[in-house]
Amino acid sequence: MTAPAGLAGPVTAPPGLARPVLRLRVAGYAFFLPFFVVFLVAVVAPLAYAIYLSFFQERMIGGTVFAGLANYTRAIGDALFGAGLLRVALFLVVQVPVMLLIALGCALAIDSGRLRWPSLFRITIFMPYAVPAVVSALMWGYMYGDQFGLVGQIGKAVGVAVPDLLSRSWMLSSIGNMVTWEFVGYNMIILYAALRSVPTELYEAAEMDGAGAIRIAWSIKLPALRPALLVATIFSIIGSFQLFNEPNILQKLAPAVIGTSYTPNMYAYNLAFNGQQINYSATVAVVLGVVTIVVAYAVQIITARREQTL
Amino acid sequence: MTAVAEANRTTSGQAAHRSTTARRRGKSPTLTVIMLVMFAYAVLPLFWLLANASKNGGDLFSTFGLWFGGDFHLFANIGETLSYNHGIFVRWFGNTVLYSVVGAGGAALLATLGGYALAKYEFPGRKLLFAVVLGGISIPGTALAVPTYLLFSRVGIVDTPWAVLIPALCSPFGLYLMRVYAADAVPDSILESARIDGAGEFRIFRTIALRLLAPGFVTVLLFALVATWNNYFLPLIVLNSPDWFPLTVGLNQWNAQANSGTSGAGDATYTLILTGSLLSIVPLIIAFLGLQRFWQSGLATGSVKQ
Amino acid sequence: MKNLPSRRGVIPAGIAAALSLALAACGGGSGGGAAAPSAAAPSATAAVQDALSKPAELTFWTWVTGIEKTVARFTTKYPNIKVNVVNAGQSADQYTKLQTAIKAGSGAPDVAQIEYFALPQFALAKQVVNLADYGAASLKDKFADSAWGQVAINGGVYGVPQDTGPMAMFYRKDIFDKLKIKPPATWAEFVDAAKKIKAADSGSFITSIDPGDAGGVDSLIWQAGGAPFKTTGESSVSVKLDSDPGVKQWVGTMSTLLGEKLVDPQPGWTDEWWKGMGSGKYAVWLTGAWAPNGIINSIPKTSGKWAVAPMPQYDAAKPMNAENGGSSVAVIPQSKNIPAAVAFAQWLNSDPEAVKSLNTEAGLFPATKVLLDDPAFRDAPQAFFGGQKINQVLADASAAVRPDWQYLPFQVYANSIFKDTVGQAIDGGGDLSAALKTWQDRISAFGTEQGFTLTSGG
Repeated sequence: MTAPAGLAGPVTAPPGLARPVLRLRVAGYAFFLPFFVVFLVAVVAPLAYAIYLSFFQERMIGGTVFAGLANYTRAIGDALFGAGLLRVALFLVVQVPVMLLIALGCALAIDSGRLRWPSLFRITIFMPYAVPAVVSALMWGYMYGDQFGLVGQIGKAVGVAVPDLLSRSWMLSSIGNMVTWEFVGYNMIILYAALRSVPTELYEAAEMDGAGAIRIAWSIKLPALRPALLVATIFSIIGSFQLFNEPNILQKLAPAVIGTSYTPNMYAYNLAFNGQQINYSATVAVVLGVVTIVVAYAVQIITARREQTL
Repeated sequence: MTAVAEANRTTSGQAAHRSTTARRRGKSPTLTVIMLVMFAYAVLPLFWLLANASKNGGDLFSTFGLWFGGDFHLFANIGETLSYNHGIFVRWFGNTVLYSVVGAGGAALLATLGGYALAKYEFPGRKLLFAVVLGGISIPGTALAVPTYLLFSRVGIVDTPWAVLIPALCSPFGLYLMRVYAADAVPDSILESARIDGAGEFRIFRTIALRLLAPGFVTVLLFALVATWNNYFLPLIVLNSPDWFPLTVGLNQWNAQANSGTSGAGDATYTLILTGSLLSIVPLIIAFLGLQRFWQSGLATGSVKQ
Repeated sequence: MKNLPSRRGVIPAGIAAALSLALAACGGGSGGGAAAPSAAAPSATAAVQDALSKPAELTFWTWVTGIEKTVARFTTKYPNIKVNVVNAGQSADQYTKLQTAIKAGSGAPDVAQIEYFALPQFALAKQVVNLADYGAASLKDKFADSAWGQVAINGGVYGVPQDTGPMAMFYRKDIFDKLKIKPPATWAEFVDAAKKIKAADSGSFITSIDPGDAGGVDSLIWQAGGAPFKTTGESSVSVKLDSDPGVKQWVGTMSTLLGEKLVDPQPGWTDEWWKGMGSGKYAVWLTGAWAPNGIINSIPKTSGKWAVAPMPQYDAAKPMNAENGGSSVAVIPQSKNIPAAVAFAQWLNSDPEAVKSLNTEAGLFPATKVLLDDPAFRDAPQAFFGGQKINQVLADASAAVRPDWQYLPFQVYANSIFKDTVGQAIDGGGDLSAALKTWQDRISAFGTEQGFTLTSGG
């Protein structure tokens, strides 16, 4: 492992010369610096540029004008943006708990010791995580076809009329299924990893008290999982708000169902890419980021409060 | 590597102990059946991919999706995929490997350094910096694509590997994980005694901390690897030349071609897309299987604390 | 895919012939340099000729598969010029990259494929070179009027026509024969035929309509005599989707077809759709003349079952046709070697060797009279179509294209929100007129925001 040359600085300084505190500070900054430089270039700079852009309006006729907060007032009153936000909120409220509950169940099952071939289940359920969202969306898109896709074929073989999974009423569930498939194993692994670190003494003590498996799961494992569940929830919330790849690829198969503003992220994308409304697109991106941070933070605070009251 | 060995010992020790208690209770057939359903859910789509990547074009849409076609065409399809359009798929594969190895390797290294700094050094502003980085996770990358493109084209790196690599080097999630991991995995007392012995900070990191951080490093590396390997949107925007495409963008271009299918001899077919998709997921699955031990113990510590 | 279901084929292009007149009348009002000199300086024209013998390197953005072969013929003939063919995405994807690169000042190609429907947008923003300055006006006679009209904008010439898509009716002769139906010559007959097809098999449709394909509907409206989009000046446009008589004509027929479920609202180009095309679920495909290649490549097993006829008419006494799809090749002002870029664009699309290659090796339907009037092209029987001389029908379809159609200078955006509005009504059985009004309102809101003066309704 070689390190960037810049790190040599604080190291070569003779230890006695600087005060220890200062030396540690310098070392801390030096270790943090490389990451931070990349972070500035890859995240902060485009973000700052997006914020800058959000205060202007570029027109095809008349050029660029300073718009003040006009883009923001527009975004707040924008029905398309609002509908997209509501849609991902609905998705979040349904898909995230379902996925996390399944992941939790799997993690507890694998950890219970009462399962045959636990490591086989662990690795296979995790495997879809390694499939690129693009590939997964293409694949599920083929399978969902109600005439010639796998779903249609199975329907015909069994003699049951299958619903059109790409229709208006099913689409959000179909996307939810794809996302669940991709990430249930990932969350399971995170929760399982957390379970493994619960000290065995706790189980032993509980068993000696005559506690059953379910009792142990409920009163020892679940509380121990709380922090890991919170982390998984927060990341799922962020992921839901940024929903893009799956609906974007399915749009080809159901253009009338998945419009240009189906999710806020798609809306921002289409504004910039079909409408050349880069300024308003940047505004939508910024507002979406703020909403995501607020929701993620609120969930964290609510959980913290609940823990205090317990 | 002592720390790793130690971690493994602990884990296997626990496992051994718990499976003894479990044996006393016996296996639950119900539980196993329920998990078999989950197994099917996870594996069937992948099996579908394998089965259909093994069919020729005619069988693809005329035979049942969950079984192989009349002829086993997988190897012929792989050959066709690899040679189609002068072997562009191989080129995409190579690009993806380059982006993933350099991008994810760099990201893991930077995140390890940064996480270690945040966990083990007191310096003014570190809480703020950490909060800023965490905030960075919630910014929708998709929507920042256009500003990123404009910035990158100002410095002239659009349509070069740098435009993919530089963002790939940044893993706020990796930093988060490493900070949590480093807090526990590197005891302050070891650092203190090394300092008393007169070791420089970088030397301490290189000779002591890095070893203790190894499982965390591998975990971040793998997750960054997945993120880079599967990255679709940014490369789509910042690259124009198919010569620099990663697999995801290339496969989707094939899909676009197949879906529009109006022109002459050169169009990609669904067979190519399915076979290409299959080939694109194999390396990651191998990486995850091969490095299981490391990343699972890395996550174990990383996920419980905040 | 985020792009419109696109390709030169699927997104139709338009004729902007009248645009030149309209803009010439209103020109000069804004932007000092707007009125470009239409007569090229002799030196510029000479420079284009000279460029062919000087070393140069050009980048050409196109998403036509197979075009490398035509380009290779160019570089064999002019070995000093190196051409990098790059597929930078299809349609809207490529336009975004192109516009962004042009704005950023670097990274744009020298030459780019631009569909006719998007060309007015690039011309308005001066993001493509006026080829008239380089003597391209002299090429006019080589191209079909319907093609040339789409690149002649505002008194300039902003691209060289590459391919066109005059509409025609591709139909399953076997199905029509079996049901003893004549291929419909009018839309009234089309509706009757649709009913018979439905009656014979309730799972069949006479055709499908793609709720995401604005271009397809634009073309059908064009074919119905509509002209809902007009550019009335440098910065003023009119959108009359709610009142245009041609639009109403189309709404009348399509509402019947959709209302009685005679036409299947199904996105095109997906495997589900191709499967339906192959299985006889659809008996007709109303589309551009570039379709044969798609049919031959995607559903080879239907060989011998297809035939081609002219589009059904609303008034058989006054036949009208429209374009669906088609692209031009434009030169980008950022190019460091504009003369060479112009020379390449001209050769690629007008040299006899090149246009033949574009037709046979890249599968494009020609824009040039060189081929359209060539007996060898017109009279070639096509085995896949039961030996029918389909190019006769298609070339005649090209000649019948109604010339006064226009696209908006922001048609890329307008088409992108089609699926949010009219597409919803097509898919969900809603009121087409109301949906067209919604589409118009959103187009108008965008146009106003972009600084255009809009006239709508009335």
